[in-house]
Amino acid sequence: MFANVLTIAKFTIIESMRNRLLWLSLLVLAISFGLVEFIGELAITEHRVTQVSILAALLRINAVIMIALFVVSTMLRELNDKTLEMIVAMPIARSSYYLGKLIGFIHLALIVTVCFSMLLLLYASGSQVLIWSVSLLLELVLIVVLALVMIFTFRQMPIALTGVFVFYAASRAIASFHLMAMYPVIAHSSVSQKFIERFIEVLTWLLPDLHLFTQTEWLAYDTGRFEMLLPLLTQTLIYVTLLSAIALFDFYRKNF
Amino acid sequence: MFRRYFDRDRPFGDVPLAVTIMLVLALMAQLIWHGSQAPITARAEDLPQPLSPGAYIIGSLGEPIATAKVLNLWLQAFDNQPGLSLPLHSLDYSVVIEWLDTILELDPDGHYPMLVAARVYGSVSDRVRQREMMAFIFDKFNQEPEKHWRWLAHAVIVARHELKDMPLALKYANALADKAAVSAVPYWAKDMRIMLLEDMDQVEAAKALVGGLIVSGEVTDPHELDFLKMKLAELEDRMTKSRRDVDK
Repeated sequence: MFANVLTIAKFTIIESMRNRLLWLSLLVLAISFGLVEFIGELAITEHRVTQVSILAALLRINAVIMIALFVVSTMLRELNDKTLEMIVAMPIARSSYYLGKLIGFIHLALIVTVCFSMLLLLYASGSQVLIWSVSLLLELVLIVVLALVMIFTFRQMPIALTGVFVFYAASRAIASFHLMAMYPVIAHSSVSQKFIERFIEVLTWLLPDLHLFTQTEWLAYDTGRFEMLLPLLTQTLIYVTLLSAIALFDFYRKNF
Repeated sequence: MFRRYFDRDRPFGDVPLAVTIMLVLALMAQLIWHGSQAPITARAEDLPQPLSPGAYIIGSLGEPIATAKVLNLWLQAFDNQPGLSLPLHSLDYSVVIEWLDTILELDPDGHYPMLVAARVYGSVSDRVRQREMMAFIFDKFNQEPEKHWRWLAHAVIVARHELKDMPLALKYANALADKAAVSAVPYWAKDMRIMLLEDMDQVEAAKALVGGLIVSGEVTDPHELDFLKMKLAELEDRMTKSRRDVDK
């Protein structure tokens, strides 16, 4: 079974190389580098902090978009080209196919993370870049699994991508939403207000704590510590398991 | 409708039991994990310094007006951070003024920064901060009297009734009457200095001013002329009464 998983993972990586994902990463790096150097010229003070803050934010959002787009478009092509149907017809467990794809995409997330971290080394200390990079990799792993869930469920690119980005944005901003709902400036006791409060509270329980991941502050002010990664790793493991279970549940029920 | 949707898929029984157990366990693990985390707490943040207007233009891909509008809302809501409601006077007003300046540079035709300066940041109970905001308005008025006269008129009222600083109110009212072009500023705003002089018991100066305005021909509106004549009569009456009081 594991040989099947590795074969699918290997072909996913080969496909990504043929799709020039690495070249796209290098292009993003070159553009970001040029932009940040230009911004560095504008800054009167806090030159390095300005550069690293903008660069880290740019790279993080680019990595998330690139990985989400790549996973969704690759899986959609497999669905449309009937490759998936062919694999399902073979004596391969659906879970093996899912795991193979997952491992392949995580490998790509690792490549993108390493590429992007190299540039950050020009502007921040090695240990902080390492902490930031591990956190980015964990964040990208969540994006990979989320994108797989969305494409298995919706089978259409616009809906799947919208789902990924809405989920991502909500996970990053849920802490702020929760605080605003809990302590409003003007307190309302209407049913709708109570409903929204409860709804947001339920979301905080169900969404991953992405607001704690990949913080620019670590690079800008050297505040990252390796022990911060442990809760992030735990959250990633729990959430990857949960999303994988959802993806597999849906995948096993699909008729092709 | 939903039946048709669900019927397209294979039955739930086709899902391996291990996957269902994994789903339930992972969901429970997520809930337990969230429950074991420290509760989310609110943390007050200091108002940061604004970047240069050019940086915002680059950052917004050449949308300075949209950026100015977003910054207006962000600044206006800064006292209401997630989970916290900070008193306005706890903000650093020198930084607030820098933000208002930046927003005005991004959107020179916008009135939003002047309105919040006058009505939001200028309405706090802290007199020092109120003065800072009125000085900001006066400064902006001196740069573009035609555009910002209405906010200076508000500053006159604030100086007169809230700060109770008559010389400051008169300084603003004089600037309002002297600097703004005749067409842009309505007569009521220009006439504010007359009321102030009257309030300061400088009846003679007020009378001279009203008389001068009538004679100068600057005032052409018949209603305004009637008002000034009435005011002149009132002032003369007041002067006569006060002379009689002195004679007695």
